[in-house]
Amino acid sequence: MFPTFLSSLKNASALLGMNARNLHYVRPFNLSRAREIADDKLLSKKILRRAKVPVPDLLATIKSRSQLLEFDWESLPDSWVLKPNRGFGGGGILVVFARKKGRNDAWVKADGSTVTVPDIVSHVRNILDGAFSLSGTGDEAFFEERLKLLKLFKPYSYRGIPDIRIIVYNRVPVMAMLRLPTRASDGKANLQLGGIGVGIDIATGVTTTAVLGKSKVIEYVPGTRLLLSGVKIPYWEEILETAVRAQEASGLGFLGADVAIDREKGPVFLELNARPGLSIQIANLAGLKARLERVCGLKIRSVSHGVRVGRDLFGGEVEEEVENLSGKKVIGSVEKVKLIGRNGKEIEVKAKIDTGAYSTSIDRELARNLGFGETIEAFDKLDLSSFELSPENEAEIKKEVFRAAEGKVPHLADVATVFSSSGESIRPVVRLSFVMDGVLIPAKVNIVDRSHLKYRMIVGKRNLRRFLVDVDK
Amino acid sequence: MNTIAVNFGIPIDTISLLVLFPLVATLVALLRQIVGIKAFGIYTPSIVTLVFFTIGLKYGIAIYIAVITVGMATRLILRHLRILYLPRVAITITVVSLVTLGILIIGASMGRTGFAAVSPLPLLILIILVEKFVAVQIEKGSRAAMLLAGETLLVSLLGYALLSYDKVVYTFLAHPWLILLIIPFNVLLGKWSGLRLTEYFRFREVLKKMR
Repeated sequence: MFPTFLSSLKNASALLGMNARNLHYVRPFNLSRAREIADDKLLSKKILRRAKVPVPDLLATIKSRSQLLEFDWESLPDSWVLKPNRGFGGGGILVVFARKKGRNDAWVKADGSTVTVPDIVSHVRNILDGAFSLSGTGDEAFFEERLKLLKLFKPYSYRGIPDIRIIVYNRVPVMAMLRLPTRASDGKANLQLGGIGVGIDIATGVTTTAVLGKSKVIEYVPGTRLLLSGVKIPYWEEILETAVRAQEASGLGFLGADVAIDREKGPVFLELNARPGLSIQIANLAGLKARLERVCGLKIRSVSHGVRVGRDLFGGEVEEEVENLSGKKVIGSVEKVKLIGRNGKEIEVKAKIDTGAYSTSIDRELARNLGFGETIEAFDKLDLSSFELSPENEAEIKKEVFRAAEGKVPHLADVATVFSSSGESIRPVVRLSFVMDGVLIPAKVNIVDRSHLKYRMIVGKRNLRRFLVDVDK
Repeated sequence: MNTIAVNFGIPIDTISLLVLFPLVATLVALLRQIVGIKAFGIYTPSIVTLVFFTIGLKYGIAIYIAVITVGMATRLILRHLRILYLPRVAITITVVSLVTLGILIIGASMGRTGFAAVSPLPLLILIILVEKFVAVQIEKGSRAAMLLAGETLLVSLLGYALLSYDKVVYTFLAHPWLILLIIPFNVLLGKWSGLRLTEYFRFREVLKKMR
């Protein structure tokens, strides 16, 4: 016990402690003007937008009681987020998901409870009075668009939206972690409140190790068997660029950048932090100080240069030699695939990699388990006997069947016509994302009975663009 | 210097408190920067130390714990009322004062005159601390506030121990210029950028498994 403790002390010089953070990084690099920007969400939004950093759209602001009295509540959209301008630690944020059915003046929260206009008025009044602000003095309230959860993250997060914290120093992304809201943290992606932090390999954007709360190292999402490592964060390059650009715009030399991913918009910048927490080191099982020292004094010419330097310096030791040559990943002829269902449910299956097939297909039973039961039943009920399928009229038939099925079959994305050795068939196509070898693939897959076949899924050419197939693997 | 001051009619207690106060403040700073015990800033633990010093450890700790517990309970009750900060603190202070009064009355009725003899000013200082506590509770949650209250108590007890150590007190009273050494010492403390002792514990997993 004791010798291992001593040898572990050697690593201490790589760690960044609170004293060194304040003395060597926050104080000299985050000047008060820049800190003011970080503490004022409306101002940082404005400055970031001017610098072409994507931020959530501002819907409305309420700066005074008279503005509150005159506010036109019907102008709000179906879903929105209400925030105090100078809030901290996620306090005072109100999120609604939809308008209450048949009402113009009431919305529904994540837990299903209703929020009416009088509720919102009293909440805004509290914000204006400074109940949630850092200094306890008067504040402003604003409404912004609600970001939509990426399907990939659904099984990993409780209610809220996960975000990605990136430490940027000298225009280089130095360390990153994915923060997941949990039941304990009440849907907020805040480690101090009991959220999960998952370390991310800067080079690849794939998650590595994880921490729950402030110091507990974990492997799975608590209460599930969902592995936290090996998740490939989509838009990784863009996310890093967004963070670096935000540093340039804000003037914070030592920045904790929070970026979220919206289902439709992609990476969106959330928040600037002038005093980023240190738990990111536990999530990554790596020391910040050693990394910051390697970056200090480097001449970084541009945003993309900074991102490249970060990826080169702080990439993990993942064996990716071949993959780097072609930029494609090498997979075998049978691969484990993690399917992400409509309900957020994940199912892992072995899939056959079939370069002879054009598109990907999955078994009916499997599709049912992934939440497409209604789709299958409704599609089966369609009367398709009038369609005589042949290679000549294929395109036309596809269009007609889709038109006939539209509205009747839920979640139908398209219709596939397949000619194979076993005859021709018309199949329903749904949108389904899956993860193969750490890569998230948003796909359209067709559903067919494969119960008599060895593999319940085949992956076709259309979804293999980013891979090379090694038959010996 | 002390003799001069005494000759001018300045009470010896005042002098010793003024001389020892920087010492307590420095201890608080040292415990934060080197050890990593947080406490509610520097004011609270220093003043609590001095309160303990004037009214005695027994009553001091009893009232401190009573104030924190009652403050916590009041906050839990008031949470549902959604009222603004200052009125809320005022209500909390009211409740805490009443409870303290209750403790004094019960103590006196049981013949424990020591409680009733506690001088009022230190008592009020302890009661007003509830504001700090409520502020942290709002900002960081009840658990963090309880932890900080505990840490504050610990720091104050260490301060009390320091002030009860006769040798230290006499040395500083006999040579008040020693206080000047505290300034360069704090400069060094302020430049210390090593890990705090508690951080070795917080980062133990990283230290063990660092790649």
